[in-house]
Amino acid sequence: MNASTGWAAPILLAQQPEIPALDFWLIVKWLLILAIVFFGIFPGIVAYMVWAERKIAARFQDRIGPNRVGPLGLLQPIADALKLITKENIVPATADKVVHIVAPVMILVSAFLVLAVIPFGSGMVAINPPSGALYLIAVSSMSPLGIFLAGWSSRNKYSLLGAMRAVAQLVSYEVPQVLSIVPVILWTGSLSMVAIFDRQVEYGWFIFSPPGLLGFALLTIANIAEVNRAPFDLPEAESEIIAGYHTEYSGMRFGLFFLAEYLSVFGVSCLGTALFLGGGTLPPPFTNALQEYVGTYTTGSFLLTNAIYVPVFMAKVGLYIFFMFWVRATLPRLRVDRLMNFAWKFMVPLSVINVFIAAVWYEFVFRPGQPRYLIGWTVTGAMVIVSVVVMISLYRASDVIEEAEIASRPLPGRGRRPIPTGSTAR
Amino acid sequence: MTQAILFGVISVLGLITALGTVLARNLVHAALMLVAFFFLVACQFLLLEAEFLAAVQVLVYIGAVAILLMFGIMLTRNILGDDTTTVPKSTRRLSMLIALGVFAVLALGIATQQQGPPGRKPWKELTERPAVGPDDLDRKTPKAQIVNDMAKFVGRDLLTRYVIAFEVAGILLTAALVGAIVIAHQERDDDPATRVLESEAAAADDAAAADAESSRTLLTSSSTR
Repeated sequence: MNASTGWAAPILLAQQPEIPALDFWLIVKWLLILAIVFFGIFPGIVAYMVWAERKIAARFQDRIGPNRVGPLGLLQPIADALKLITKENIVPATADKVVHIVAPVMILVSAFLVLAVIPFGSGMVAINPPSGALYLIAVSSMSPLGIFLAGWSSRNKYSLLGAMRAVAQLVSYEVPQVLSIVPVILWTGSLSMVAIFDRQVEYGWFIFSPPGLLGFALLTIANIAEVNRAPFDLPEAESEIIAGYHTEYSGMRFGLFFLAEYLSVFGVSCLGTALFLGGGTLPPPFTNALQEYVGTYTTGSFLLTNAIYVPVFMAKVGLYIFFMFWVRATLPRLRVDRLMNFAWKFMVPLSVINVFIAAVWYEFVFRPGQPRYLIGWTVTGAMVIVSVVVMISLYRASDVIEEAEIASRPLPGRGRRPIPTGSTAR
Repeated sequence: MTQAILFGVISVLGLITALGTVLARNLVHAALMLVAFFFLVACQFLLLEAEFLAAVQVLVYIGAVAILLMFGIMLTRNILGDDTTTVPKSTRRLSMLIALGVFAVLALGIATQQQGPPGRKPWKELTERPAVGPDDLDRKTPKAQIVNDMAKFVGRDLLTRYVIAFEVAGILLTAALVGAIVIAHQERDDDPATRVLESEAAAADDAAAADAESSRTLLTSSSTR
């Protein structure tokens, strides 16, 4: 068994410090873990995320939320899942059958694959490819294709509209999402998610620096847009285009979309946590408290570190998800042209500038030698504030011009008909 | 052994999907086959221990090129992409000839290569993967380190040895982008200049009312935020 085939069967061999002989029972063990974690734990997390979202949104809207099935409505997600599974799957007569069935699977696969490189604790990562961050971006960029195919194969105008919106939005927000990750890669000097985690154990969370804070904010906005949640839920805007790309899906095929959406919410929260919030490490004074145990693969240190890291990681992910629910319950949906302008005129330039600021921070702190935090904070903090203020005022100025231009455009129903050409002589 | 079997399976699937891309009548199906082909190329990269290139392949070709292809199909043809494609016979012969020519050049170039890059044997005599960088010998396991630093080596080579090709590709893409915008903006409605003319014409109808309204919108739109 050489390194290449080892990577080709990655789940089986992952995280073994020395690659052991691949005997039968090892395969059985890893397949069992795969089955339990990927088919048990993650769908379970999704089910209770849905429950939590309904409860939280209910609190925000002064309601009670699900409270009929089980205590506090805790069995509601199970009832929902059973309902979805037993419902009839309908494929529209005119739909492109094969593509119609493949599309939700594609989105779900993309959502699952993202989780493979997330380091939940010390050594608690399914695979650790050397270019893990790039792998993560690559597999998550497959989901727009699935969404497009779902909308296209349904032969429904609203589905197609939703798919067009989704693809335009996802492609646009992928750019700032990737660019806001670049500072982390710059500071770590590696694309491996585990290396990023180790670097944060050593140097503290990446969010505690002006460019890190800005990068985290940009990443969070782009993340919310990438998983199609309010205020960026235009692809499935139910009051405009029914349900967008999954209008024609029913039963468990719709359930797959649902699962994939919440799984990606979980995935991007894990991404934000692992990249900027220090993974499973404790807050600042204790960030490297367990450093001496990390990376030693004795049973005791493994259990000790992960007994702390995994719950802390999950708590951070939970807070991140709660923030996303909060935003959804608070903000109304964006207008479609504003959505695009915001990505291309505001977030992309700002994240490019942030890469330069991150390089300055690297020079002050990460460059071998004594880290100079004070001067680093002063210089990069000023740079971040100036660039954010300049970008906001530029964006607002362009927005005002555009609004005036839209207002002066002949619109139906405003008493002004579109003027046919040549009528100026009137 | 496992590697050989995997290589065979991936290659056969790759050939099937490549043929499917050419033979599919529906454009979206053809594009889907192309996506599968790109994915199998990424698998081949994995077999060559180039997992960085595999990730780039998926990111660039599936995540970007395939999506743009779908957009292109939807925006330029029938919106549902149902048009079946028929290629006229003369074009078919010509394109077949060109494709065969390209294949022959590539095959000949690989098969008859007498001399490798400086300090290396030609490809067909190599059984071991060549060392990628100069400083990989003092690492613990050179092969693993090369794989680990593949992003670094690819980046360094792109900006030193292959910088001309890199820049030319960049210029080509920029030209394509500019050209696409020029073509897309030829419609009269999307031209800002004509739009201003139109709005002036509209304003000529009832100048006073329009003036008041537009200044009001300006005020409200600036005051609401």
